Amino acid sequence: MSETLDLEDLEDLDDLEDLDCDLEVGTTRSERTALRRSTVHDIEPGADWNDVEHAILTRRSIRKFKGRQPPAHMIRRILEMGRFAPSQGNCQPWSFVVVRDKAMIAEMEAYGVAVCKGMTASIDYTNYAEGTEQRSAILSSTQELNRQNPNSFHPVPMTAIKAIANGRFAVFHKAPTVILILVDRRGVGVPEVDVGVVGTNIVLAAQSLGLGTCWVGFSRLLSSNAALLEKLGVAPPFEIAEAICVGYPIGNPTQQTIARQTHQITWWEDGEKQVLF
Amino acid sequence: MTDQSVAKAIVDPDHLPIWDDPREALYHRVTIELDKCDGCRLCVVVCPANLLELFGPKDNLKARLKADATGCMSCNNCYAVCAGQGIYATEPYDFAGYYEQKAIGAFAPPRKF
Repeated sequence: MSETLDLEDLEDLDDLEDLDCDLEVGTTRSERTALRRSTVHDIEPGADWNDVEHAILTRRSIRKFKGRQPPAHMIRRILEMGRFAPSQGNCQPWSFVVVRDKAMIAEMEAYGVAVCKGMTASIDYTNYAEGTEQRSAILSSTQELNRQNPNSFHPVPMTAIKAIANGRFAVFHKAPTVILILVDRRGVGVPEVDVGVVGTNIVLAAQSLGLGTCWVGFSRLLSSNAALLEKLGVAPPFEIAEAICVGYPIGNPTQQTIARQTHQITWWEDGEKQVLF
Repeated sequence: MTDQSVAKAIVDPDHLPIWDDPREALYHRVTIELDKCDGCRLCVVVCPANLLELFGPKDNLKARLKADATGCMSCNNCYAVCAGQGIYATEPYDFAGYYEQKAIGAFAPPRKF
């Protein structure tokens, strides 16, 4: 029995919604509607976290890894989750470089440290005591750089750059696997946003499988080393956008969910504006 | 706690904070409850800013902030790994001028709506 549907017969959007699921051949429209209404329902207020929410809440940025290399199939598996991320215009402007080679990671690390040492020497005025001429000279040029590119010279990455230069911190956290996410510069709209969405899929999938991850924005420092880029296989239109370190975390960073800052939510409903946190 | 009021007093939005001036760059607001600390050293290991150290006699080690510590970004990794829940960030970091934290509220655990 075939069923035809005249769109003009649809009374409201609820009817339209009934069309979008349960594509079983041979069922009538009313059977499909009944099935949908019996299986899809809203959760109760205050319901327990589901698996996805649990992975989100227990995820931590892991910067200390055990030496054991995660098996290759698990890395392939989390990359596969990235592949199913949404993107602007479905243009999927990304590719990956997976580095599991100790010597290669060491080379990347060494170059990152060298860049941080150079930056610290040229822009870190805190190396010099207050009132000295060197300090005021560097301070004024640093503040000028800061004005031109305020996000990169935020105090938090500056502190990290200094720590890397002093050997107190590592660029790639001595992780056994480093995934470089490359962005296709020709992507639709703002391809960097798509890279963020891909990475979020990867990070949450890894969390759900018991792997620890950490985003490494400093991976972009590698872009100034042409030889290294060639070795890694990074060529235009692709650029390094971000990296994600993967490995088994030291300690048990999922034993409790942490408190985090709340953020302002401006909530418009029924012609009224509320500010929530 | 450092003088938050001093940092907020600089209203020039173009002002860029002096990173080693505690009146303009507020870091490491971390609380450590020593009676809950068993000296397991996990927080020292996981702190991304490398801010923590152990002190005291060998049979009664406790965690504390290093004297010259700077750079806590309130990530609460220390709390996440602490079996005794004895260490936690109490406030977000903050800066004066351009980098002042805005539209940020108090710390809260995950809330069920």
